[in-house]
Amino acid sequence: MAIQTFTAAQVLTAAQMNALQANDYNQTVSTKTASYTLVAADKGTRVVMNSASATTITVNTSLFSAGDTLFLQNISTGVCTVTAGTATVSTAGSLAIPQNGSGILYFTSAGVSIFYPSAGAATANALTLVTATSTANTGGTVTSSGGRVTVAGSSSVSLNGVFTSTYHNYLVLLDTIESAASGPNQFNLRLRAAGSDTTSSTYYAGQIYGTYAGATGGSANNGVAQFPLLTLTNAKQQMAKIEVFSPQAATITTIDSLGVAFDAQSNYAGYQSGATQYDGFTLFMGASNFSGNITVYAYQKS
Amino acid sequence: MVKVIEQNLLTGETTEREQTAAEKTQTAKDKTEAEAQGEAQIAKLAARQAVLDKLGLTADEAAALLG
Repeated sequence: MAIQTFTAAQVLTAAQMNALQANDYNQTVSTKTASYTLVAADKGTRVVMNSASATTITVNTSLFSAGDTLFLQNISTGVCTVTAGTATVSTAGSLAIPQNGSGILYFTSAGVSIFYPSAGAATANALTLVTATSTANTGGTVTSSGGRVTVAGSSSVSLNGVFTSTYHNYLVLLDTIESAASGPNQFNLRLRAAGSDTTSSTYYAGQIYGTYAGATGGSANNGVAQFPLLTLTNAKQQMAKIEVFSPQAATITTIDSLGVAFDAQSNYAGYQSGATQYDGFTLFMGASNFSGNITVYAYQKS
Repeated sequence: MVKVIEQNLLTGETTEREQTAAEKTQTAKDKTEAEAQGEAQIAKLAARQAVLDKLGLTADEAAALLG
C-alpha cells in the first residue's frame, strides 16, 4: 500500500492500519517488465524489475522528499540500470542491478538521491556484466539475452554503449566463434564512438602465434585500419579473450587478446593512437561471415 | 544492396537502413584487403611447397631439418 495522507478528525480504519502495517512487515511490491520511470506513489515500496532484456529505472526530481526511500530489485536476466532523469543519482558502487541484485534509493532532497547497491559487493577484481545499449549488424542475425549477444552469419557486428565513464577497463569474451568460409579468415576489431568506427591507419600491434603442428611466428601491424585479432576457420569452438584498457579516456586505447583458433593459438597486443573516447566496438571479417557469442564485462575501478 | 540492422536493446526497437556511402566504401576496401591477404597466404604456401618439392622433402622432414 502506498503511503496515505490522513487529515484531522479522519477515522483510521482497521483495514488501513493493517495495510500500512503490512507494508512494514511485507513491503508493497510493484513488478515492472519494461523500463520504468519512478512516480511519487512508489515511495516506501519495493519496485521489482522482471525483464530478460536490459532495462532502466529513471529517477526524476520533485516526486520525493528528503528522507524518502525505495527498494529496487531485479529478479530477471536483463541488467537494470538506475538512471538519472531530472534528478541526480550518486553511488559509491554500481548503478547496474544484476539478476538477483537489489539496492536502496535514498533521497537527500527532492532532486538529489543516492543509490546504495546491496548486491554483488564490489571487490578489487570483481567483474560487472555490461549490456550494450544497441547493436548494428550487416547480414545475418543478432540477438541479445541477458547481456550476451549472439551473432549468426554476419560480416560485421557493432556493440554500442558498452564503454562508459563508470569503469576504466573491460573484458570482451568471444566464444564458439567460427567463420562461414573455410579460411583461414582474418577476424578484426575496430573501436567505435557515437555509432561510427575509427577506420584511420592508427592501430599498432604485434602478434605471436604457435600452431598445434609446432610452427611458430609473428606479425606486425604498424599503422593499420583495425586490430586483426586472429584468423578463424569454419571449425567450431574457437574463442578470444580481449581486454580493452581505458577506452573512455581521452588518450590512446590499448588492448591485449588471447585467441584460440582451430589449429593455432595467438597472443595479440597493441594500441590505437587516437584520443577518442570510445563507447563501443565493431567485430568484422572482410571476406566472410561469422557466428558466435559476445559478452562484455567491466573491471571494477577499485 | 547491403543493409544494416540496428537494434535498440533498451526499447527493443529494430530499424533497417542501407549502408552510408562511407560504410560502403569501407566495406569494399575491407573486402579487397581480406581477399588480397587470402591470396597472398595461398601464394606463400604454394611457394613453400614448391621448394619442398624441389628438395624432395616432406613438410615433417623440412621441420626436422630446421630443428
